[in-house]
Amino acid sequence: MLTIGALANVKHILQKELFSVSDERLLSVVTVTKTFKKKDKRACYLCVVTTTPITVPVVSLCLVKQSEQRENEYKRKRSWALDEIKWVDGRNDQLETHEFDIQLEKLYKWYALHPHERQNFLAVLNRQIQKNVRGQRAEFRNIPSAWLSEKSPEKIAAGRTGDAALKAQQTDGEESEEEAQEFTALTDREATELGKLFSECDFAIKDAEQFIEQLSKELHDLDGANIQSVLASEQKVLKMMEHIDNAINEADKFETRLDSYEDILGHVKETMEKIGGKNAMIEIANNNNIKLMKELEKVITQLDLPHKQQQALEDPDFKTEAGIKAAIAAAQCLQQAMNSDIDSALLRLEAVQDQRKRFEKWKQKFSIFISRYMNNMFIHIGNEIGDLPLTSNELVLPNHSNVHQSLAPYTELMHWTKAMDNKTYAGLMRVYTASLCKIYDRDLRNFFNLAKMQVSDKLRSSREDLDASTTSRKAAVSTVPYGTLGVNRDQWGPGVDSADRVRFDALLEKVLAELEPIALQEQLFCINFFQMDVISPTTKNTQTTLEVMEKSVDMSQSFTAASPSTDGPFPQKRIDRQINEDVRNLMMGLFDCLEPELVIFIKSFERVDSFYSLYVLVRLTQHVMSAQDTHSFLSMTFASTLVQVKRNFDSFMKQQMQSIKESKLPKRSKAGILPYVENFENFAQTAEGIFRKSDRRTDMERWYLQLVNAIFETISEQSHEHPKTPHQVVRMENYHHMYSLLAQLKVRGLDGLKKEAKVRYNDALKAYVTHYFGRPLEKLNLFFEGVQQKVAQGVKETEISYQMAYSKQELRKVISQYPAREVKKGLENLYKKVEKHLCEEENLLQVVWHAMQEEFIAQYNYLEERIQKCYAGAMINLEFNIQDILTFFSDIARSH
Amino acid sequence: MREYKIVVLGSGGVGKSALTVQFVQCIFVEKYDPTIEDSYRKQVEVDGQQCMLEILDTAGTEQFTAMRDLYMKNGQGFVLVYSITAQSTFNDLQDLREQILRVKDTDDVPMVLVGNKCDLEEERVVGKELGKSLANQFNCAFMETSAKAKVNVNDIFYDLVRQINKKSPEKKQKKPKKSLCVLL
Ligand SMILES: Nc1nc2c(ncn2[C@@H]2O[C@H](COP(=O)(O)OP(=O)(O)OP(=O)(O)O)[C@@H](O)[C@H]2O)c(=O)[nH]1
Ligand SMILES: [Mg+2]
Repeated sequence: MLTIGALANVKHILQKELFSVSDERLLSVVTVTKTFKKKDKRACYLCVVTTTPITVPVVSLCLVKQSEQRENEYKRKRSWALDEIKWVDGRNDQLETHEFDIQLEKLYKWYALHPHERQNFLAVLNRQIQKNVRGQRAEFRNIPSAWLSEKSPEKIAAGRTGDAALKAQQTDGEESEEEAQEFTALTDREATELGKLFSECDFAIKDAEQFIEQLSKELHDLDGANIQSVLASEQKVLKMMEHIDNAINEADKFETRLDSYEDILGHVKETMEKIGGKNAMIEIANNNNIKLMKELEKVITQLDLPHKQQQALEDPDFKTEAGIKAAIAAAQCLQQAMNSDIDSALLRLEAVQDQRKRFEKWKQKFSIFISRYMNNMFIHIGNEIGDLPLTSNELVLPNHSNVHQSLAPYTELMHWTKAMDNKTYAGLMRVYTASLCKIYDRDLRNFFNLAKMQVSDKLRSSREDLDASTTSRKAAVSTVPYGTLGVNRDQWGPGVDSADRVRFDALLEKVLAELEPIALQEQLFCINFFQMDVISPTTKNTQTTLEVMEKSVDMSQSFTAASPSTDGPFPQKRIDRQINEDVRNLMMGLFDCLEPELVIFIKSFERVDSFYSLYVLVRLTQHVMSAQDTHSFLSMTFASTLVQVKRNFDSFMKQQMQSIKESKLPKRSKAGILPYVENFENFAQTAEGIFRKSDRRTDMERWYLQLVNAIFETISEQSHEHPKTPHQVVRMENYHHMYSLLAQLKVRGLDGLKKEAKVRYNDALKAYVTHYFGRPLEKLNLFFEGVQQKVAQGVKETEISYQMAYSKQELRKVISQYPAREVKKGLENLYKKVEKHLCEEENLLQVVWHAMQEEFIAQYNYLEERIQKCYAGAMINLEFNIQDILTFFSDIARSH
Repeated sequence: MREYKIVVLGSGGVGKSALTVQFVQCIFVEKYDPTIEDSYRKQVEVDGQQCMLEILDTAGTEQFTAMRDLYMKNGQGFVLVYSITAQSTFNDLQDLREQILRVKDTDDVPMVLVGNKCDLEEERVVGKELGKSLANQFNCAFMETSAKAKVNVNDIFYDLVRQINKKSPEKKQKKPKKSLCVLL
């Protein structure tokens, strides 16, 4: 019974601590743990609680937990209204069962610590539910049916024991919930009554016995009075009972009435509910129908092709403007319909698939119409223009903008074909290319033939000039190219002059300038007409959204195809490149013969002018480097040609180098100016005329350096080879020539070589003078060399004259060997010799003669100075003075 | 003497000509003249062997791209040049390399990846690591060079010669026995 006490205690505490505060009353409590939470052994209390009846009592189920921190603090964890309880399961009928389940918003499984608490709790709960819940009540399963009867288990127990004391005890402890409901605090009135009673008997405290006696006496009196009044009122009571019986009968009648009403109402309610359900169903169905309608309407409008358009597709009229317009409009509608955005589920509809098949048929049919029509048109254009006689002999490339204009109205049809039928599109492109290629082929060949004729015309006329002027047939036949540095000019083959080169250059410019707009115009047309600036998404023969297929997969594949493997940082760049390449390929097909014709044309210069590569290089470079569209067909064609020309240029220069190295000394009495030195002037002037203002100067200067170096080397090598001309003269004259030439050219890159030429020339001049002038007063020179030896041995200069071999007499003897007349004669001979060595062209005789005069004067001054030093005061002099020398030199120079 | 056909490739203005001229003539070309096509010959000694290098300096300008197939067909070793101061010149090399492999139809082509203008450190946009990893991907040698400051210039060509030697060792030229060519 300890547990009962404990529970009573708990109940008391809970009431006091928790429920009184909120004006509630605890009806029953069971100490539980959650069975699924074995660990948390702390007890919870599941309570049935009612509000104190101010109006209508509200009973609820409530879970309370003891606070973790403080022993005597409790918390309400959760509350449920009774009608939230779906069912209660006692697990089995055994009395000693601990578990029970309550289905609320979820299933709670409880473990009651004390079975008797559980019993009480379940009974109270059942009763309260029966009493308070309207409508569907919780079902109690597996619970002894006795518990669920009216009587509370305690009452039964109490009745069984007959222990009144316990029963009395229950009033303030383990009382039934009804008593609890009636248990109220003393009302004010009762309190005052009681107070009054106590105050009347204030002796009671002193004399309890007396008080009890008085009370029992009073009670006795009251009992007596009571019995009397009861007896008196029996008649009334009987009447009252009768009334009550009547009332009850009436009430019963009324009740049956109400019941029947309720029945009716219940029926109505049921019907209403059924109707409501039906209504909701109808609404849903309606909504679905509307949605379906919308969806269908969408599909139908999307897939509908008006009759007029069907006609336009089935029997298109491409001849009139209106017809083309209608056809394009219909075709675009078809395309739109075939690519309409329809859910893939709907695509499985047979009607949609049927429509698709119809579309497919229209598409194919229309595509065939276009194909046939455009095909004919392209071929017709090709034939028509191809048959037109070429009009003029002027060097103009015909413009075919009229072709483009006549095709322009069909542009959108081509775009349609590209999107809808790639195969036909590709086929049409081929036919177009073939037809137009024929035209351009003819145009270009004719154009280049005219251009070539203009070159050979010039050739002929210049040849005639040549023949007329020189009458040397031999030269015309010579195989040595004109301008070859290492070969004497009279052995050159025929060539052209700079005026001709200017004309050729102008002709080339004209040709290039004619090509550019024509190619550009065709390219622009093709890009637009064939919509080449858009990459077609699929390699396969196009596809529409109406095909039930994983199109996303296809798309991604085509995308990766466009931008392969590597994580290319610029996919756009790749796409652009693909477009460029496609356009270029098309242009290549159209202008098939352009490159070979251009190369042949440029070659035609070669036959006339060995220097052609110079100005063609410059001219073509201008066109290639200034190109806006660096990867266009024309730019790249020109660039390839330019590389060829550059190679020809380099090999021309290499030949020039070779010719210098292999050149032979001219077979003449004087070496004179060597052919490559002589020719270099003309060569450099020609090259400068072409390259002076060009961007390609660097290419030329690179060769200048090599050529001039080769020239210097070869001069030095060959200077020894001439049988008569001394090597000093060969070098002097040729370096002098090179020097003056380079000075005149003013090429900055050659400044170093210019300086070197000057040094080499001066060296050669000095060497020549030293060698050939020698010492005309040789014996005097030898005499003083002896003097110098003595001086070196320690003889004083003033005492030299006392030496036997160097006496004044001896000196006079030597001097007398060089009389003025003899000296002049010797100089005259020398002059003749020099004259024989030097060539007239370079005109260095006076320079050399002057250098010799200087040399002579220097030697004279030296001797005079020695005489004055060693034979001072002896009054010895040479037999001629400086003035005489100057007169000799000028006389000799003048007389020749 | 064995001849080595070397082709220098790369975008315009990266310094292909500057490197080549520095190697062949020991001059730095300051001025930029877009190349059309230049060929040079230079004799060098590599590992005690005399070699004749025939170097083709090609155009980087876009118009000339059509010529590349031919260059690649004829070349034995390739110098792929970019400038460390221009990202796009680095990006362009991927395609060039692919084209070489396609034309040569083999994965093993003697090749050197060159990041030029390394004297312009303050203008650098392509990191050295990037170059290295591209070379790794290409499975080829890598060096940063400067034609201006003469850094690593000769090494490019020497390395390439060694690669060519390694890939195709010179066939021991048989002494032309008596009559190699018979005049009829
Ligand atoms: N600072 C610096 N400048 C350089 C270097 N190499 C080349 N340049 C400069 O870069 C510019 C272009 O050099 P080039 O050698 O002509 O370029 P490229 O690659 O031959 O160009 P293309 O012939 O058009 O393909 C020139 O002005 C050179 O002086 C270098 O290592 N450092
Ligand atoms: Mg270059």
